[in-house]
Amino acid sequence: MLAYIARRLASTVLVMGIVAVFVFLLLHLSPGDPAAIIAGDNATAEQIEGIRKQLGLDDALPVQFYRWLAAVLHGDLGISIFSNEPVAKLISQRIEPTLSLALTTLIIAVTLAVSFGVVAAWKVGSWIDRSLMVVSVLGFSVPVFVVGYMLIYVFSISLRWLPVQGYSPIDQGFGPWIERLILPSIALGLAYVALIARITRTSMLEVLAEDYIRTANAKGVATRSVLLKHALKNAGVPIVTVIGIGVALLIGGVVITETVFNIPGVGRLVVDAISKRDYPIIQGVILIFSGVYVLVNLLVDLSYTLLDPRIRY
Amino acid sequence: MTTRRSILTGGLAAAALTSAPSIITTQAQPSRARTLRAVMHADLRVLDPIWTTANITAYHGAMIYDTLFGLDANFTPQPQMVSKWGLSDDKLTYTFELRNGLTFSDGQAVTAADCVASIRRWAARSGSGQSMMARVKDTPVVDDKTFRIVLSEPYGLVIDSLSTISTSLCYMMRKKDAETDPNQQVRETIGSGPFLYNREETRPGNRHVYDRNPNYVPRAEPPSGMAGGKVVKLDRVTFENIADEQTALSALQAGEIDFYEVPPQDLIDELKKDKNLTVEVLNKTGHIAFMRLNHLYPPFNNPDARRAMLHLARQDDVMGAIFGAQSKSWQACGSFFGCGTPMTNDENTDWFKKGQDIARAKELFQKSGYDGRPVVVLQATDHYLANPAGLFAAQWLRSVGVNVDLAAMDWGALVSRRAVKKPPAEGGWNIFSTTVTGITFSDPIAFTGQAANGEKSWFGWPADALQEKLRDKWATAPTLEARKEIAKELQNNGWNYIPHVILGQFFRNSAWRKNVTGVLGMPEVVPFWNMEKAAAI
Repeated sequence: MLAYIARRLASTVLVMGIVAVFVFLLLHLSPGDPAAIIAGDNATAEQIEGIRKQLGLDDALPVQFYRWLAAVLHGDLGISIFSNEPVAKLISQRIEPTLSLALTTLIIAVTLAVSFGVVAAWKVGSWIDRSLMVVSVLGFSVPVFVVGYMLIYVFSISLRWLPVQGYSPIDQGFGPWIERLILPSIALGLAYVALIARITRTSMLEVLAEDYIRTANAKGVATRSVLLKHALKNAGVPIVTVIGIGVALLIGGVVITETVFNIPGVGRLVVDAISKRDYPIIQGVILIFSGVYVLVNLLVDLSYTLLDPRIRY
Repeated sequence: MTTRRSILTGGLAAAALTSAPSIITTQAQPSRARTLRAVMHADLRVLDPIWTTANITAYHGAMIYDTLFGLDANFTPQPQMVSKWGLSDDKLTYTFELRNGLTFSDGQAVTAADCVASIRRWAARSGSGQSMMARVKDTPVVDDKTFRIVLSEPYGLVIDSLSTISTSLCYMMRKKDAETDPNQQVRETIGSGPFLYNREETRPGNRHVYDRNPNYVPRAEPPSGMAGGKVVKLDRVTFENIADEQTALSALQAGEIDFYEVPPQDLIDELKKDKNLTVEVLNKTGHIAFMRLNHLYPPFNNPDARRAMLHLARQDDVMGAIFGAQSKSWQACGSFFGCGTPMTNDENTDWFKKGQDIARAKELFQKSGYDGRPVVVLQATDHYLANPAGLFAAQWLRSVGVNVDLAAMDWGALVSRRAVKKPPAEGGWNIFSTTVTGITFSDPIAFTGQAANGEKSWFGWPADALQEKLRDKWATAPTLEARKEIAKELQNNGWNYIPHVILGQFFRNSAWRKNVTGVLGMPEVVPFWNMEKAAAI
């Protein structure tokens, strides 16, 4: 097991290296110039050139790449072109809102989705099953930002129950913290609920058709026990897999949700950085996102051993 | 009234108790009632208002720096940091004396040496400054509070230049900051303005925080534009970066922000119906939308093709698409200096009075020898003007048989590509559209787009010797009346050599909560002094 983990961690470094090369090339070969954006609308081409030189953007691409890679290997993600702050500091300032949003979304989504999936499988073909599947199709089909605006209109503008936007750090009180996360988590979690609920339902239906479930039912085991103890655990591997895959969905969704609800997280940081071509921030955030994604998948793989004793690494 | 929100908050009070130390910290900060939360037209990215010409950085500059002179609401320069000034009889020596009580936020007094260094750095970057410094022989410091500007020839725009509100503004910095290479960014934020920049509370990309400068000594005169007493009546102003305009609008309606500089303009009529909001135009000179033509390459290196564009552009199309055909937020304008500005005039505007004339445009394109090569039109799909303007330009050109290559991109890519001097087929361009404030557009010296000195001039790189001669004549004219007369000559010539084509003049409304009062209207900068905030409504 330990050798497997070590191998996977080593491959993570390789994956991140490849990501680093691709991100660097994609950014620097795509149109856009931070110097022109910094200089402002009234600047001349000469002034823009001066800024480009000062930022080192006039150096050859391999020189810029070497400079960046050497810094990254020393644990330095670079300095933001615009704010002149270290990228690591900017990311650390933004990590709490993003983690808060991702975690509350995961908790809400997994709790709801697994329950929906189990109930839908149990009541397969009934109006409950059909209703839950309609909800999950809707969750999949309606974009996050549309759900976000609708929630803001209903709960913030009309009913005035919850704030429109912003984030309150948890150390300033649990109330304001959770108050500002409810709507974004629902908006972001809806697609996730849909995805997990459908997989849970399918997986549960397969397991519920197995002989040992029929046997359990014949022995008079309580339905609740059959569903949760016997069926759900055995249906767990695909569900955990899809939760892991869904992390990519979550990362994409976080970017949009943070913009709609004005949450100062890593997603907003990278969107702003893209619009102004702040290369060090984009490169730093994508490197971290790719690392997180690879690690989450590693954790998912390891969790299989808990759900299915036959799996060994 | 008990609401769902208050119940939720109250019910979670126990959890909040665990955060007592943080709450104590929060109480030490300015109260919400004396904090004004504003969403501005852009996120503040660069803090040096000399290094960049970005307007949002000029706003930042107005918060923490001060100017020697300030333009009042009638666009007349008034002394600001200066207590008295004089001009020698030979009109060559200006003497300035600083008023008492001026200090930087690090506690040091503002001296004449600081001001001279600041003027020199500003002049290296600003169009107005460069024009002035070309005639400056010396800038001697007389004593701690007095300095001079000695000219080699009379120049009527010295005071106007020092009080310019077109970016870059002439902000006074500490000598050691002002001695930074003009091509390098000043990292410090030490000024002598009415606010202090709070770096501790600022989160770049999210919120910029300004606290009242307790040591600032305002002038005694009532506030007027960038002039008069800059009396701060708030403890704190925050520039909140809410990227999504729909969210910002909802936050304003819910009272989570107090001031929104540029709400979605197509929703202004709806906003005006909200009894909790005040909706007003702060910049009465508005903005000019214009289409810049690249003079380096065919077809627009030919004056007939440029003239064809004058007959082809239909301002109603572009403005109507953005604001609505019936909206009062825009007007068509034919003046080379925008409409409603001191330099506005009616010279050589027959093409405008006739309106769109497709047949004439077609004839002029043929006369220009247009050979069918694609005209590259830059279209920034994320920009409120450059998107529809690009689409309309393509449609107008196609209507007269011109091949169009509509290059769609985002604004970030457009501002890079417009600086490319290569041929259009090799990554250059023929047309892009942008905006500038009316007051800047009307200034042939401050607005780099009015220069016509070939490859040294603004994007499009027009070359016209007469324009340069007239700009110089305008700059050295002794009075406003004389400048108005020269403006007619400039316009007459301008609509002959045609550096750009006007797409309309528009007036953007700002919106703020009714409990905010004392908002001063001014182009280019939103002053936050004089603003007051009463109890929430």
